[in-house]
This record gives sequence, structure tokens and C-alpha cells, in this order.
Amino acid sequence: MGLHHHGGHAHDHAHDHDHLTAPVDSSHVFDTSIPDSELSPGEVSRRGLLRGVGLLGAGAVAAGALAAPDAADAHDGGPFGRSWHQGRRSGYQWLAGDHHIHTQYSSDGMYRVIDHVRHANAYGLDWMVITDHGSLAHAKLGVDLVNPQIVAARSDVPDTLVFQGLEWNIPAAEHGTVFVHPSRNEVAVLKEFENTFDGAVTNTTASTPANEALAIAGVNFLAGAVTSRRIPDALFLANHPARKGLDSPHEIRGWRDAQPRIAIGFEGAPGHQAAGIPAPFGPGSGRGFYDGSPSAQSFAPYPLESYRTWGGFDWMTATVGGLWDSLLAEGKPWWITANSDSHTVYNDTSDRGPGSDFNTNGRYNDPVYGGGKTATTSGDFWPGFYSRTHVGATGFSYAAVMDGLRAGRVWVDHGGLVDGLDVKVRAGSHWVTLGDTLVARRGSRIQLSVTVDLASQPNWAQFIPKLARVDLIRGAVTGAVADRDVFTTARTRVEKSFEVTATSGQVTFTYDLGTLDQGFYVRLRGTDGNRTAPGHLGAVIDPVGPAMDVVGDADPWKDLWFYTNPIWVVASR
Amino acid sequence: MSPAGRAGDIIGLDLGHATAREAEHWLAELPPVVGLTACTHLVHGGDRPRVIITVDSPEPLTLPQAGSPAADEAAIAHERRRSGRAVRYPGHEELTGTVSVAYLLGRTAIEEVRVLGGGPQPTALTLLETRAFVRPQWLDGHLVLITTRAAGGRIAPFEVPNPTPCCGGH
Repeated sequence: MGLHHHGGHAHDHAHDHDHLTAPVDSSHVFDTSIPDSELSPGEVSRRGLLRGVGLLGAGAVAAGALAAPDAADAHDGGPFGRSWHQGRRSGYQWLAGDHHIHTQYSSDGMYRVIDHVRHANAYGLDWMVITDHGSLAHAKLGVDLVNPQIVAARSDVPDTLVFQGLEWNIPAAEHGTVFVHPSRNEVAVLKEFENTFDGAVTNTTASTPANEALAIAGVNFLAGAVTSRRIPDALFLANHPARKGLDSPHEIRGWRDAQPRIAIGFEGAPGHQAAGIPAPFGPGSGRGFYDGSPSAQSFAPYPLESYRTWGGFDWMTATVGGLWDSLLAEGKPWWITANSDSHTVYNDTSDRGPGSDFNTNGRYNDPVYGGGKTATTSGDFWPGFYSRTHVGATGFSYAAVMDGLRAGRVWVDHGGLVDGLDVKVRAGSHWVTLGDTLVARRGSRIQLSVTVDLASQPNWAQFIPKLARVDLIRGAVTGAVADRDVFTTARTRVEKSFEVTATSGQVTFTYDLGTLDQGFYVRLRGTDGNRTAPGHLGAVIDPVGPAMDVVGDADPWKDLWFYTNPIWVVASR
Repeated sequence: MSPAGRAGDIIGLDLGHATAREAEHWLAELPPVVGLTACTHLVHGGDRPRVIITVDSPEPLTLPQAGSPAADEAAIAHERRRSGRAVRYPGHEELTGTVSVAYLLGRTAIEEVRVLGGGPQPTALTLLETRAFVRPQWLDGHLVLITTRAAGGRIAPFEVPNPTPCCGGH
């Protein structure tokens, strides 16, 4: 078992090595498929102890190394952020990550790859994607030059997986993350993709039908690169989709339908989450730098409200019954993620390297100490500091992360709102988890069970978040739509809200989803309850949803949410 | 330029501007005619998304010959007060700093103020941070300013003067 080597960070040994003396005679305690509720009080207590020191971590159990101190060391005192320290959930190792990060190879970035990787690792990320902007300089120089830094970071920080990708200027649309599985050809494929299909490189950004077609061709190119085995795998996620109204519903459907294995989703929450912190202490801008309004390039029917975030989330995701739900109601797998979009970090003390010439060199010189000022107008957090995308993986590997993303075994949170989530939808003894589809006989009783590990230690703003409520959102599967630009669906709403009064430990909900008749899906949303408002489509659909963020007055730490991807239930014949 | 603009007509101009900002730069060159209203209109879709200008002037103006079907459509929409985002309108130069809603309604052609995104609707005493960038639009026959809540219990126009550019603008 490839135990995670902690590249130089201090371990917390405050637990006095309890695991060395803890008896290991009770297999029930270690079998995480057995819920706490089925254990004796003594076993529950022992499990809690073991969990606390990390011995119930997925790696430790998988290694069969229950008595091996180094296995425990791999998990004990682990940094906040890693969700797998809570144990193997539904048989998966939940790996926290970020697919949208910029370095000195972006015209608006500044940091070295290793700067981001070391921070991401310290802040608890297991995987990350370096996504410098597609541009003439990047296509010519940056995409090559950044690779040795990424390769070096992979060995320097082995317990965080570092993918190479790029931020695609999608022709006729917004930006997107494109990334590939590491391989001999990772640079060659990314470079060919960028030179052929990037909107900025090929001057195809305008929202025209020809450029929309080029975007589809780009997605097809990635699929072809995988099919022909040039690269082991590739994924595409649309970034900040509602920011400027550029991603029309038919374009999103077009990417997905062209290659559902490649085009898998969009950012449920954009990065730049510090951007709304009020001036003079912060940028005083729109949260996520969502402060735009319609342009000639935008999709005309989108309402003004779509140009702002709601509780830090993109309007397409935050609106119950909105665009995301309209895809889910069609039965289309389409996943949401969260990320940092980290370019320049809020309150960081560094400056761009002096004497830089980005256009000539394809990079900024290495950053330097800024001499005592802090970047109050920067709107970003370090990867893992605030936003996390938790992926249910079958192991700690690049392939497993990509497979988990593609399968939609993904939930996202802000500010460490919760430590872990386990969501199952059952029919009898048969169950599935996030992203999956439960196929059951018509007439079966369907049940939802949710276990939430409440936040157990302070987040990076130094408070322990308090989960106030979990909402169950349910929608009918109504099939394909005639109008590919539709962005609402009529039969999705908040079906049930679970108030959370516990402030520590685990909370468990079960909910009877009734007798299966027509296909449906469920998804979950949780909140600290600090800022809420009726949903964009009305209180009947979402009585207590996220409120629209106020430009210049959005403290991201006082408005925390988590979202899960959906689970479908369909009737077999 | 040719004397295309007659008093009393609303003239549509298809000058090929790609953005509202470009169109506003062009509009800034118009003479300071009292009572003039000039709007921008977005042309979405097709092979040439662009911005059309419409001008409603009580005095004859020298304007370029730049008609098109889209420009005609925009002029009709402006005339019927259905759509169009007003850049120049009576009183627009009054709107700098922070003003009350009562001041705004009393001193300019804006007829209504709406707040998006929940919260109470504004009263006459509600303070508006103009950011010196107030762009009302024709909606349902009225010149309406769409606003959102701002820090300190104030409101501000929905549209900000310098939105974050595509790649952070560095």
C-alpha cells in the first residue's frame, strides 16, 4: 500500500500514540460497513477512539496494517480538509481536490507550481489540477514549460496528486477545465488541443454558431485522444458557467451530449470566494468576481439574477428547479464541483517576480516577498483553504480520481462545513451512492439514508462550522426536452428539510422516499443557516435557499453550504 | 456624418460596436442636447453579436448613416419603451455619489427603482450608491433602474461600472 508520505510537515502526536495500546480484537469495530448504530456502546466508543487517531482511515484498513504505527502516522493529526480521515464511506476513499488553479504561466497568475502544491497539501487536498489560461503565450511556451514543475511536484509532494490541465477558452463560451491523466503525451495532447481549439488562440471567442461547433470539435478531439490511447484519460468541466451569461443551455447540452465521458459537469461554485469581502479589508467586489451583466455575447433569456452567486454558488446550481436540475430531470449525468480558481491569494504577502516579461517568456518570474504589504484586493484563496471537491475514489491514484469524478461520486463544501458525508439510496438491501442510479422494481419501497460527520475541528478561519440544516431536493425524471435552451424544470423542489441541533459527532437521517413509480432523483444541500432567502423560482420550490450575494458585502466564512451530486432511482420492468 | 437625425424621430444606429462600452464611448461624443435620450441595445445570436444605439433627440442631430433591420427594430423598441438601456437621459449628469431614491426620481427621467435578489423594496429615503454609473432601462413602458442591495443597507445599480474582466484583467 502506498502510504502517504508527508513531505515535511509536522505531525501532531498529541494523541499519545493511543493506537499502539488499543486492543485490536474487535473486528466489528474496524468493519466500517457496519454502522455505529449496530455496535455495542463499548464498541462505538472504541471506534470513536480509533477514528480519532486515524486508525479507521481507509488506508490503514486497506493495508491491513492495524497495528503498524506508520500506517497510523499516515493519517493521525492529518490536516483538516482530507475527508478520508473519517473512514471509508460506502466503500470509497473520499479524496478532496481542486480542478482549477493558476500559476505564473497564466497572464494573471503569479505563483510557482510548487507554491500551490505545498499549500494545497497543507490545506488538505489529495488531488489538484494546474490549469493555466489558454493563450498565445501559453500555447507556444507555457504548456511545455510548466510540465517539469508539475512532474517535480509529483515526487516532491507524493501525497497530493498533481494533474496537468489548462483553462480552455471554450469557443463561443466561457472557460473550462481540461485535464488529462499523466502520461508521456500529456503535454503533446494538451498543446495540440490548445492550438486547435482554444478560443483565444484561434480567435473564436465570439458567440457564433461556427464557434459553438468548434467547441464540440474540441470535446470530440479529447475523446479521440483517449480512444486512440494517446492519453489514458481526459476530462472537461465548464468553469464559472453563469458568470457572464455566455454558456447557453444548448451549448452545455451540446458538450455533454457529444462526449458524456469527457464533458462531465460544471463548477457548482466558482473560485475567487474572497472577492466579496468588503473594502478596505477585501476586494469589495462580487463573490466569485461575479459582477457582470448581459452583453451581446450572452444568452439573452438569462435573467439578471444569473450574473451573481447565491450563497457562493453559481446560479445554475443554486437555483432549485433551475438549469442544473433541468439536466438532471432529463436523466443526464452532469456533475458539480467547487474549486479555488487561485491566481493571487487574498492577504498574501508576495509580489510578482520583478523584471517579468510574460509575453516573451510565457511566464512571470518567480514571486518575491512584497515587503510588508498584503494583497487586500486579491479575491482568491489557496487551493483547499476554502473550497473542496470530495471525490469517492477506489484508491489513491490519478485514474481513481478521474473515475470518481466521471461517476459523479462527488460532493462539495465551503469552509469545511462538514467533515464527511455518506449518502445512500436503498431498495431493500440494495443501495447506491452519489452519482449512481438505483434500479428497482416498480412498487419497491425506496429509502434515503444520510450520515453527516459534523465539523470536528476549526477550519482555516479558525472556527468550527455549525451545520444548521440539510435539505433534500427531489425532482421527477421527465425525459428529454424539446427545447434545448430550456433552463428550468417544473417538478423539482425541496421535499424535506432536516434541522440539525447536534454540534459534534455524527448525525444520521433516514427518509422514506415512498413507493417507486416514476423515476426521480434526489440531491442534498446543507447550510450553516446564516444567510437564506426564498429561491429564485419561488418559495414553493425552495422556501429557505441561498440568498443572492451582495456585491461588496459578502463574507464567505459567514455563509457556508455543501451540495451533493444526485442519485437517480428508476424502475426496472 | 450626414444630417440623418430629425427631431422627434428615434434613430437606430448599427455601428458594429462589439460591447456596450464601445457604444458608450461613441455616445459620449454626442452634443449636450437638453432632453436627449440615447440607449444601447444588445443584438444576440447570429454570426455578429453586437450593440445597437438608439437616439431620441428633441433637436436635429448630425448622425452617421448606419441603418439596418436590427437598428430599425431597436428604434421601434425604444419608441414603444419596451427595451433599451439608457446611457444619456434627462438628469443623468446629476447621478454621482450617493443619492436618495426620492432625489433620483425627482431629478431625472428615471420613473421607477426596483431591487433584485430579495429584501425590502426601496422607499423614497433609501440611499443609492450611484458609482457615477446609472443605466436604467425601458421596461413595460417605464424607465426603470434595476438595483441590488449594497453594503450598509443601501442599494446600488445592478450594473457595475468596471466589471471584472475575463482573466482578472492583469
